[in-house]
Parts: sequence; structure tokens; C-alpha cells
Amino acid sequence: MEKLQYDNLQETLYYEVMDNGLHVYVLPKPGFQKTYATFATKYGSVDNHFRVEGQDEISVPDGIAHFLEHKMFEEPEGDIFATFASHGASANAFTSFDQTVYLFSATEHIHENLETLVNFVQNPYFTDQNVDKEKGIIGQEINMYQDNADWRVYFGLIEAMYKIHPVHIDIAGTVESISTITKETLYTCYNAFYHPSNMLLFVVGGVKPEEVFDLVRANQAKKDYPPQGKIERIFESETVGVAEKRRVNKLQVSMPKCLFGFKEKEVGLTGKELLKRDLTTKVMLDLLFGSSTELYQKLYDEDLISDSFSHEYSSSPQYAFSAAGGDTRDPDQLLARIREEVDGILASGFKEEDFERARKKKIGGYLRMLNSPENIAHEFTRYQFRGGDFFSVIQLYESITLSDVNNRLKEHVDWEQLAVSVVVNP
Amino acid sequence: MNTTAFQHGNAKRIRIHVLPTKRFKTFAISLYAGIPLAEDTVTPTALTPFVLRRGTVTYPETRQFREQLEQMYGAGFGFDVYKRGNYQMVHFRMDTINDSFVKSQESLLASSFAFLGEVVTRPVLEDGRFRSSYVQAEKENVRKKLESIVNDKIRYASERCIEEMCRNEPYRLHALGQRQDLEKITPESLHDGYRKWLSEASMDLYVVGDTTLEEVEKLVNAHFDLGSESGITYKTETPVRQSGEPRTVVEKMEVSQGKLNLGMRTSITYGDDHYAAALMYNGILGGYPHSKLFMNVREKASLAYYCSSRYDGHKGIGTIQSGIEVQNYEKALDIIKRQLEEMRSGRITDLEMSQTKAMIRNLLLEIEDSAFEMIAYDFNRQFSGKDRSREELLQQVEDIQAADVQAAASTFDLDTIYFLKGQKEE
Repeated sequence: MEKLQYDNLQETLYYEVMDNGLHVYVLPKPGFQKTYATFATKYGSVDNHFRVEGQDEISVPDGIAHFLEHKMFEEPEGDIFATFASHGASANAFTSFDQTVYLFSATEHIHENLETLVNFVQNPYFTDQNVDKEKGIIGQEINMYQDNADWRVYFGLIEAMYKIHPVHIDIAGTVESISTITKETLYTCYNAFYHPSNMLLFVVGGVKPEEVFDLVRANQAKKDYPPQGKIERIFESETVGVAEKRRVNKLQVSMPKCLFGFKEKEVGLTGKELLKRDLTTKVMLDLLFGSSTELYQKLYDEDLISDSFSHEYSSSPQYAFSAAGGDTRDPDQLLARIREEVDGILASGFKEEDFERARKKKIGGYLRMLNSPENIAHEFTRYQFRGGDFFSVIQLYESITLSDVNNRLKEHVDWEQLAVSVVVNP
Repeated sequence: MNTTAFQHGNAKRIRIHVLPTKRFKTFAISLYAGIPLAEDTVTPTALTPFVLRRGTVTYPETRQFREQLEQMYGAGFGFDVYKRGNYQMVHFRMDTINDSFVKSQESLLASSFAFLGEVVTRPVLEDGRFRSSYVQAEKENVRKKLESIVNDKIRYASERCIEEMCRNEPYRLHALGQRQDLEKITPESLHDGYRKWLSEASMDLYVVGDTTLEEVEKLVNAHFDLGSESGITYKTETPVRQSGEPRTVVEKMEVSQGKLNLGMRTSITYGDDHYAAALMYNGILGGYPHSKLFMNVREKASLAYYCSSRYDGHKGIGTIQSGIEVQNYEKALDIIKRQLEEMRSGRITDLEMSQTKAMIRNLLLEIEDSAFEMIAYDFNRQFSGKDRSREELLQQVEDIQAADVQAAASTFDLDTIYFLKGQKEE
């Protein structure tokens, strides 16, 4: 058991790598009633083409990582939610582009619940019948998202940006793609990505670290995992430019939705470099589009944006893009005004005092997030899978300079890399 | 359970509730202001906080206002307008970093009170009324928000069901008011309404963090420009009962998934001695993934991705919501009605009882880990006049027998069936 002390945050993190390669982290929160645990695999919707060392290369149906997540909850003795409920735990899971996370939150029977979490994820049980049944349920989940204008405008933007990289494929797949999923393809994916060496267990809350490690060590010792070779994720090369300038979707909405963003030209960053670029970009976007900026206030006064106007930045070693926008009465006029205003800022750069304030805001936001065990677990895991340290965020923010942010602005805001997605009434 | 109790006091005309603790990295501040829900005040009351957040005497321009929040290490500031029972609540929230984590020169708690006091009691004025440009822009903003409800079909269906069910009471009104009433509002009328609201609303102010009741009382006295007249008193009303057959409402819209919502009335409210039995009723019926609705509509019949129930003890209503294929309407409704019948006839297993108790217990214990959850629980006590601690409620839940749940079930009467379906299907 190793110990990492973060004095500035008043937090202590404990960690250990199990013999089979599983990474386990524990963050005790003295005085907390609740324990929150996540068991995550570095496997998401983009991992649809891969080869495990010593095995054949394989392509799998779109939406299979998410399908697998659904099916994990079924065990030979029934639904695992019932087992969690008996111990007062609220359980759930989610699949994103690059990870699948299983979780529970409980105030009592923590050891039983931890065992349940680790055991059900390490015990796949797929049958032809239960795979078939799930297709109806996931079909309804896909339909639900089809009716969701915010989801449609967001995915429309990614589709406009990326032609080849699977980030543009809906996480749940389509009704057609999931219809081809069988128990055999599920086992293939499971065996490739659910080896302990590709997984991370994070436990935060009112727990004693030694007890958690003892439990997990004993649990893993009972299971036989032969060493697994390296997983090679195969991504065909993506074009630098955007796939299309503008994507239009039709859906009944009260007002058009418009999202725009820039596709990052440089990919391949990992670890600290990737994290620093992320944080610098986030400060930059806040200085550009944040609710205290001149641009925001002007567009609000011109009735081109509303409270729904927001911005974000998503990145991984293979893709990265910004997204900004919201509801607008006139997408074209909004885009024209954005271009005009942003060109002005590109020429002048940001001011020191605005930069300092934006950085303060980011540091405060990060500290506030540390009140939430859920956020800590999710963010820590996400950073770790990309080779970054979530607890180094404040130092990184402090190391960013005004010129870093101004350089990032010039580098990222390239109109050639702009893509637009709108949702309008049919 | 080591429950920490709120200390209660008074300053100006506000009831003050403080929970001194070092458990969090922030100060959590909540101000609840409630007035009876009424047709002629609902719209101006909803609009008021939107105008208040545009500018104050010290920060007249919206950008100055937002920059000040960023200076305070990005203090979280927000407000919600919602219905609680037959009252319209305006709820302001702040979440500010505890100074000990940052290199701040001033007390961030004091700055937060200076800020909140300004927002609520010292808006920027012109000629003794609200600034007309702010009123105009925020009328437009609220109008857009009301119109945008239709964009989220799940929320739309749920609100439409309530609206239909309560069509003869003030509760039919949306918390954000009525579109047609926005037109008539002027900067003068809104300011008059605001002054009246400020003197009449029942006000509760909460702080959770490293402070004391005395300090908070001092800060309120210093920063809130309020008289000492007493506001309205929250009263509980007997829930409306419906006699006769449930009413069915069908609406058509461009959607790929149908939304089926059911509304029920119950005589059991928050202050009732049977409240714990009603919580158990809702939990067994549809509160969790082990509940009857999830198990039967989703897991057994594969008809839906989501199917759950909710219970609102302040209003005395229960609701059920699900997303289904339009052609499965009869099938899904039939299964849901059968679950209601199971509850009425007391077909409830020991396992359902113990699992639901464990889940409710977890929910109540978890409250302690979140400053805003603790605040919300205590406010329910102030609001309903029912002084029932979490320990007492926990014990009451533990003591519930299946027969008590069956008795509670007999008070839930199906009132409205609402179905949102696609244009094409017949």
C-alpha cells in the first residue's frame, strides 16, 4: 500500500497494484457516511477495432461496449440490482467514448457491496436469450436519445468534425448495429478489455484503506487471470480537416439549436502534456465564451444567445475538439457575430487581469468539485486512463501563463477547422 | 448516526439556520423565499430573480456582477424557481470556497453575504424602478425557457400530465409562470411586485460550513436591506381528492418514442404519520431498479428503457413515467395497472420490503455527506411544520409492515393517464 499526501487539498490517497495488474485507489473521507466505488475498464465506444497480443485483429459492431455494460448486470441467479438493494446500495453504470464504469454508493455493508461490485463485473453471463431480450430495451434507449435535441445537436457536431475516427459513432450504436450483436461477440470484447490489468477500482468515502486493500487482494487471489498481452487499439488515420462544414438535423424544437467548435489539428498528446493542453484550452474558452465576457454580454443583449449558451472541450490522445453554443433564434447571424468578435480578440489577445480572474474561477471550481465523492472518482479515473494526475490540477493551473493561453487561442481557433451543427424544426 | 443539528436564530425578518462543520471545503448558502402559488403573481415572481441577477447597486452592469463572483474564486451562484406544495419558491444558492484553501485576502463568507444581500435587497434601479433593458431582456429569456420545455419530451410529458391532473387548481401553473402574462409586465409593475414579494415571502436562510450562528446573524444584519415585518406563514392544505374514473389525455407530436405518464392522488402528505408508509409504497412500486415497474415493464417485457414512479409528499401526488413504442401503449398500461393492483391487494414480498427499506435507509444516511441535502431536509421541516428528524423517519421506515404499505396503497387513486405519441402512428 502506497500513500500520497496532498497537503494543499487536505487529502490523502492510497494505492496498490494487485498481482494480476488491477490498480486500486482509496481516498478516505473521514466523517463521511457514504462510500462511493467505481470499477472501470479502459474500454468505450471508440474501441471497435483491436487486436490482443497473440490474437487476431477484430472489428466489432457499433454500440457493443454499451451493450456489454447492460448485460453485465445479469447474473445466473438474477439481476444484480437486487443484490445491491439488499445491502442498501444504489448501483449504476455508464459507457463513454473511452471507458465503461460500474459503480455503487452505500452507507452500510460496504465490504459486501464492494465484493458484489468486483464479482459481478468479473463474472460475465451471456445467453442467446438474455442478449436478445436486451435489444428491445436498448432500442428504446436509442429512441429516447433520438428525441433529445441537445444530444442530437452535440452528436451532429462530432459527426461534422470526424469522418473516420469512431468518436463520431453514437455510444449506444443504432438499432441495426446492435441487432448483429451475439453472446459470442460480447465474450470476445469482454475477454479483451475486462482483464484486471486494463481496469481501475476507486473507493472514496468513510472507509479504512487497509481493509479495502485486504478485501480486494483476497478477492483477486481467488480468481485465476493468466497474464494478458498488450491491447492494440486500431484507429485508421483521421483527416486533419473537418468531415463537413455544417450538419443539419430536424426535430421539433421551440427555437433552433446551434453548436459550433474547432477540431484540434495536433493529436497524439498523452499524460501531463495532454492535461496541460486541456486546462489551458479550458481557461482560453472561458475567456472567449464565458458568461462574464464582453462577447457573451453583447450576444445576449442582441438576443442571439440565452442562458443555454455554454462551452466545453473534449480530448483524448486521438481526438480533441471544442464545442460552444446553445439555443438561438438565428444560427447564421450568431455564427457571423461570433466570427466577427472572435477575430477581434484574436488580434488583441487576452488581458492579464481577465486571465487571472478566469484562472481563479477554475481553481475555485475544481476545489468545489472535491466536495463530491462521485466527481472525484469519475475524474480521477478518467485522468488516470489518459496518463494524467487529477490531484495535480491546481499546480498545473498555477503554472499556466497568459502567453500560454494567448498561444492556445491562436493555435486552436482556426476557422478552417470550424464545424457547425444545428437542429431546426422539420 | 452522528447527526449534526442546525442552530436556529433570526436576523431582520429572516429565519436563520446554521450548521457549523469543517467537513466541507466550502460554505454552502441557501435562501428560500416562498409565497402562495397564484395566477396573478406567479409570472412576475418567476421573472424577479432573473432581473435581480442582472445587476445591483454596487455591480450595476451584468459583467461586473459576474466578474465579482469570479474574483471570489468562482463562487457558485444560482437560483431555482419551483413549486413546493401550493407555494412558489424562489431559491438562491451560493457555494463559496473556504478561505483556508486559497490565498484570499478577505473572508469569502463575508463577501458571499455582501453579494447575496445585494442581489436580493439592493437591485440596480433607474427612476425608482427596475432598469428597463434588463426587464425586457429577461422577459424574453423567461419566455424562451417556457417555450423550450417542449424540447425535452420526458420533462414535457411529465409537466403536461400534472397540468392536466391539476387543471382546476393553482398547481396547474408552471413555476416559471404564463407566457401570455409576460407581455403586460413593465419595469414599474415588476418593481412593485418585487417590493411586495420582499415583504411578504416567507424566508429561510441556511449556511453549512466553518462558521457560527452569531457570525451569520451579524452578516445578515449588515448586508440584507430588509424590514422586520413578518412574512406569510407556510400552511399545509388537505390534498384534493378525485372521484370517478381516471381521465385519459392523448397528445400528438413529432416524436420517435411515446411517453406514457400516470398521475395519482393520495391523502398522505409530508406531515402525515403515514408518510413513511407512502415512501415505502413508492419505493416498492417504482422508486428503484428492483421495484415492480422496472422489473415488469423493462426487465420482463422489454417494453421500455425507463419506467419508474415518484412521490411528492408536499402536494400529495404520485406519478409514473415511461418511454415506450407507441403501438405498445395498451400492453404497457396493462402491466403498469397490474402493478398498482398488486400494491392494493398487498402482494408484496419480504424481499421487496427489506430491499426497499435498505434503499430508503441509504438515501437518508447519505444526506449527511452533502451540505445542500442537509439543508433541503431541514427546510422540509420548516416548510411543513412537521418536526421529524432523519433518525425518527428512519425508525418509522424500519417499523413499516407490508399491511401498512397496502393501507398506503389504498390512498393512491389513479387520476390521469397522459400519452404523448407520434404524428404518424394511428
